[in-house]
Amino acid sequence: MQKKVLALLLIISCGMFMGLKVITDKIPRKTVPGASIIYIPSGKYLKYASFGHSSLLADLIYIWAIQYFSNYSVPERFQYLTHVFSIISELDPGYLDPYQIGALIAIYDARDFDTAMDILEIGLKKNPEQWIFPWQAGHYAQILLKDFELARKYYQTAMEIEGSPPIIKRLYSNAVYQLGDYHTAWENWLEIYNSSDDERVKKIASNHLYRTKAAMDIQKIKDALKEYQSKFNRFPEKLADLVSSGFLESVPQDLDGQDYIYDSDTGEVKTAVIPWKR
Amino acid sequence: MPEAKALEIKDLHKSFKFGFLGKKIKVLKGISLEVKKGEIFGYLGPNGAGKTTTLKCILGLLFPDKGTINILGSDHLSIKSKEKTGFLPENPYFYDYLTASEFLNFYSQLFHKQKTEDINTLLTLVGLIEHSHTQLRKFSKGMLQRIGLSQALLNDPEIVLLDEPLGGLDPIGRKEIRDIILSLKEKGKTVFLSSHILQDIEMICDRVAVLVNGAVVNQGRLDELVSQEILFTEITVSKISRKELEKFGKPLTHFGNKSLIQIFDQDKVDEILQFVKEKNGKVHSLVPRTQTLEDIFVGIVKQK
Amino acid sequence: MKIRAVALNTFKEAIRDRILYLLLFFTVVSLILSKLLSLLTVGDKTKIIMDAGLSSISIFGVLMAILMGTGLVYKEIDKKTVYTLLSKPINRNQFILGKFLGLIITLFIMMAVMTAIFIIIILLHSGTISWKLFVSLGFVFLELCLITSVALLFSCFSTPILSSIFSLSFYLIGHLSWGLEALLKKMNPGVSKVLTQVVYILLPDLENFNFKTEVVHNLSIQPEMFLFSFFYGIAYTFFILMLAMLVFRKRDFI
Repeated sequence: MQKKVLALLLIISCGMFMGLKVITDKIPRKTVPGASIIYIPSGKYLKYASFGHSSLLADLIYIWAIQYFSNYSVPERFQYLTHVFSIISELDPGYLDPYQIGALIAIYDARDFDTAMDILEIGLKKNPEQWIFPWQAGHYAQILLKDFELARKYYQTAMEIEGSPPIIKRLYSNAVYQLGDYHTAWENWLEIYNSSDDERVKKIASNHLYRTKAAMDIQKIKDALKEYQSKFNRFPEKLADLVSSGFLESVPQDLDGQDYIYDSDTGEVKTAVIPWKR
Repeated sequence: MPEAKALEIKDLHKSFKFGFLGKKIKVLKGISLEVKKGEIFGYLGPNGAGKTTTLKCILGLLFPDKGTINILGSDHLSIKSKEKTGFLPENPYFYDYLTASEFLNFYSQLFHKQKTEDINTLLTLVGLIEHSHTQLRKFSKGMLQRIGLSQALLNDPEIVLLDEPLGGLDPIGRKEIRDIILSLKEKGKTVFLSSHILQDIEMICDRVAVLVNGAVVNQGRLDELVSQEILFTEITVSKISRKELEKFGKPLTHFGNKSLIQIFDQDKVDEILQFVKEKNGKVHSLVPRTQTLEDIFVGIVKQK
Repeated sequence: MKIRAVALNTFKEAIRDRILYLLLFFTVVSLILSKLLSLLTVGDKTKIIMDAGLSSISIFGVLMAILMGTGLVYKEIDKKTVYTLLSKPINRNQFILGKFLGLIITLFIMMAVMTAIFIIIILLHSGTISWKLFVSLGFVFLELCLITSVALLFSCFSTPILSSIFSLSFYLIGHLSWGLEALLKKMNPGVSKVLTQVVYILLPDLENFNFKTEVVHNLSIQPEMFLFSFFYGIAYTFFILMLAMLVFRKRDFI
């Protein structure tokens, strides 16, 4: 074959395959290339197959996963979320970023709270010294689900890990308060107040202590009011009446020594000030 | 006199296993020979007789089944004998990325004594001094043969073993190598060379051994093996007709007006010379043929 | 020294082999690739560069060791250069050792070049290097020495293709050793368990030389681990070299 003919055919075939590549890229596909990863039964086998390079493999699968889960053309992709991230975890349990990002994807893209918790649980199990995982879990539980029991549980786990930042204890105490366990909340907040040197933290703690005391006091007063009401069929004129009639030992005052505000018509008791505005 | 033996082989046996089932083939069937100091010894035999196998046994590249080999009084595997030996293998290959002088330098480092022949002297001896910085991959076959010979002489050995040293060389190359071998003898070295080219053996060897099918069938001085009597004479004449030539001997070929005739009877030689003179013809050549090594060789091989 | 002469000669031959430079090129390519990949990851960007660098140097180093080692002795036998060499006053053992040392020196230089490039890339990226990195790479080199000795062993009696397959299998088995360990834990005590234990201890455990994870996550390593792994590597290499010498001793060069 003549050299010129050969060169021409070369250029034509090159142009053809380049053009075809562009076309095939545009065609939507059911699955994303490389998605056979989702069919791997367990990360354990993959670890064997990597012959000592499991860390690198974890990196590569993680990068792939980020692309895969942000690909909108595969709507059912999230069913493999836990699976893929558990594979990454098996390959390199100490690789911390994937747990957080996996949970993030679960929460915001898949709107699957349980999956996010699963992933963070795996992260904690493999890295028990990482307080960030239970903290994040507690955070999601509190902010998204308003599930203070779950949040409390996670905050407690995070708090007990050495090196965890003080704010977790505060979040814990707040969660405990929200659950109505004022006693424990008070103790915790007292501890926080006493152990901190930071003025700002002391102020926060003191506000929480105020609120907690107020809650406990108001509870006590309201219980006494109820008893009074069931006996006398009406609310007392003033709170001091509860003392004279023997339903209260003394009228509690708030943390600053102020009286609580009492409405004798409705039986409502509340604080004189808003805790945060002291 | 035990000291006068440069090389002594006694009852050497070697067989090889081939194939998975280990079929045994016996290559050397009890070789015994002696090489005296200072002589050029020829080891003859057709291809496949076992010449190279024998040489490899001598050098420790193969391990014999049975038999002993002694070089200059020491066992052939000892370092002592290796220090005094030089070897040129058949169709040698060398590290082709090295230059000639690097090549010789490398081998000289393998010898115990620091004193080795000066590399340049050796290169001059084999006629390669201009190529001392050329890579071996650029050498022709003849040049490779010569550099091979030079590495065999690096340690100024007492005995030099050469396997087909003249193989594949042009006539000039062959003459040069032959001259080098003869000069080695003049320096008092012993040369053991194997070949199947009989002319070369005839020209330079003192004693020979003939190896056929793994056994030495004949051994001794050349002139003892080859008788000196004239077998026939070949004469080329012109201007004599064929019919007339038939009276004297056997006409072989005719070219132009010349004829080649083979005469067995020595008396007839004088007669034909007289005849040609009378007829005003011309005698172009007269060659008496004695028994050559080839005749013996072919005869022996045919017998086997 | 005779071993040194053979070693230098082997080194001269090896360093001129183009395969080395091809593999070096691939290592550099993969390092650059890892830098690009680091742009795609979310979170710690240095990790993938470290992982890719350590893994590439390790893999391509092993390939170099195998590809060159399997030809080491085979080429000499095939091209018959071994005839002139062994007819000189040199021991067959000295020959083996010389070949081994020559290749080791070559591999050391190659690794040094790869390491230098790797370090430059890391410094440009994040500016910090841990001493653990050098220790880890040192152990990669030790692993290479062991693989070289295995390739050399096979080269003494087998063709380059078969030798490469065997050497590669050795490498793979070496990294699967802990699969056998897991199997052992599940086995019931008995004869088969004892046999498996013997096999387990005999087979190479190349994970002993693998400190990649510790380097990347900056974990602590017990000093005993370094010491005993080091001696394990030396001892096993020594064992393989002795095997090679044994195989080569009475070998007939037909």
